[in-house]
Amino acid sequence: MNWRIIGTLVAKDFSLFFRNKLFAALTALAFVFYIIIYFVMPGTVNENLEIGLYSPVALPAFTEMQEEGLEVETVASEAALKEGVIEGRYLAGVSLPADMMEKMASQQKPTIILYFTPDVPQEMKDTVALIIRELAYLQTGQPLNIEATEEILGPDMSGTPIPPRDRLRPLLAIMILMVEMMGLANLLSEEMERGTVHALLVTPMSIKELFVAKGITGTGLAFGQAVLFMLLVGGFGGGPLIILITLLLGAVLVTGVAFLISSVSKDFMSVLAWSIPAFIILMVPSFSILFPGAITNWIKILPSYYLVDIVHRVANFGSGWGDIWLNLLILLGFCVVITWIGIYVLRRRVR
Amino acid sequence: MARDAIVAEDLTYRYGELIAVDHISFNVAESEIMGFLGPNGAGKTTTFKMLTGQLKPKGGQARLLGMDVTKNVEKVQGEIGVCFETTNLYEQMSALENLNLFARLFGMRSFDGNALLERVGLPGRGKDRVETYSKGMKQRLMVARSILNSPRVLFLDEPTNGLDPTSSEKIRNIILEERERGATVFLTTHDMLEADKLSDRVAFMNQGKIVALDTPHQLKQQHGKRALKAKVAGDDGGLEDREITLDTPETPEAVRKLFSQEKVVTIHSEEATLEDIFISLTGRGLV
Repeated sequence: MNWRIIGTLVAKDFSLFFRNKLFAALTALAFVFYIIIYFVMPGTVNENLEIGLYSPVALPAFTEMQEEGLEVETVASEAALKEGVIEGRYLAGVSLPADMMEKMASQQKPTIILYFTPDVPQEMKDTVALIIRELAYLQTGQPLNIEATEEILGPDMSGTPIPPRDRLRPLLAIMILMVEMMGLANLLSEEMERGTVHALLVTPMSIKELFVAKGITGTGLAFGQAVLFMLLVGGFGGGPLIILITLLLGAVLVTGVAFLISSVSKDFMSVLAWSIPAFIILMVPSFSILFPGAITNWIKILPSYYLVDIVHRVANFGSGWGDIWLNLLILLGFCVVITWIGIYVLRRRVR
Repeated sequence: MARDAIVAEDLTYRYGELIAVDHISFNVAESEIMGFLGPNGAGKTTTFKMLTGQLKPKGGQARLLGMDVTKNVEKVQGEIGVCFETTNLYEQMSALENLNLFARLFGMRSFDGNALLERVGLPGRGKDRVETYSKGMKQRLMVARSILNSPRVLFLDEPTNGLDPTSSEKIRNIILEERERGATVFLTTHDMLEADKLSDRVAFMNQGKIVALDTPHQLKQQHGKRALKAKVAGDDGGLEDREITLDTPETPEAVRKLFSQEKVVTIHSEEATLEDIFISLTGRGLV
């Protein structure tokens, strides 16, 4: 392995990357944009449970309930209740029937309608249902039958609220890696499209050195920016070494994907066409952190799940090596496999 | 006697079922210019790629400067210069940056890019981005890149294809200068006139095989026919063509008859061209 040749190629690639005005601008803008997004997101969590209540009859247990952490606001109509839920003023809306007391007195089950927006986690729905049961019991002395099914995916975060911007952190970090994936794929695709790779391969350098140089360029660009981002948003708090290693593996992963994309791309448009699906697929696991419970277990087949999950757990919950070692190992496995496949198919294309 | 710089023995390459290069053998001596001629798809570029280590032969062996190309590809590539048919420069970089990059890849510590640019007729344009260059300028830069390491074997694939006469002449002069320096030149082209002007020997390639290989003079002697071409005044006042094949027993009588029986307006002798020979050998043209 000739490191002088590799160094020359890496310097050339960095220089060419930043001469491509589109990618240079995209990289800088995206980076600044992600930082701004992070800081404009709320940095604190409102831990109060705000519930809207529509009650056509006087039920003091419900209307006068103002426990710590629970805010019940009575509204004048069912329409106002729905509007409040849709606008996000209430986490849930509770609509009591006008004949509630009569039905309970006659041993019938009254129907209480609970309104939620679709993004409310299941655990919150269960909590609200539980509160209603308790209030009904207080009011009538009888248990109220409300059906509720529970399904919690990912780490159980009840009792550990995370500010929205910190939930966003893994998503933004992976977006930074993805932008560099497109940049590297375009750089490689241009190298083949313009035939410069053939000019390189008739000099005393081996194809192995070419791939090492491209790998260093791609990984360096992605890793450098992801680290800078995490530094600026304070993402190294939980375990700096774990996060550094995870980001490095993430950068290797996107470099492998960039090899794959460039092996099937002929120009910038085809790089874009292949990158967008890859971008979307690899981003999916980030949404499981933004919207816990919204995505099921299948996301574990995506390599980026392990990247996002480790960053999230370490940066937001302070998880240590013992908690994440298996995920780190799986991520390493994905990196090796994807990079190997990427090199194999790209080598065939180059040859 | 000069040693062989390039030796191809039974060289073969297949793309699936298609045999692109079919068991060809030839050698090129040091400081010789070998013209490799043939129509598109004849197997020239595949041979070029095998000799420069870009393709691994499916059969036979290629040796450069005594080294097996497949086994010593990086060593071989340190001794050669390659100019490709299609432009493959880093267009967003300047000419000097392009040359400096390749000089570093060849491990050259002291390299004067400006002097090289001057030599190929691009003085004062070193700091301009290559994307601002004309086709002729880019081709001259490609030639400059191929000779920057003073290669012992220079491979040129259609170096003057589609260029204006001035640029073509400049490149031909550089090829001759490189030969004078001691480099062996392997020139792939389908421009017969260029091959005739530059090459010490030419090889005709057709359908993956070498169908003839010799000096242009010998090929013309062996396969071409010399002729006298005349224009004579016709009965209706117009001009008519007459052709007399030279070097045959009937030639003197035919010449005598031409001058005694017809009114000769113009007359000149004509040698066979390499293209004529190629057509007579293969039954097809070079394009």
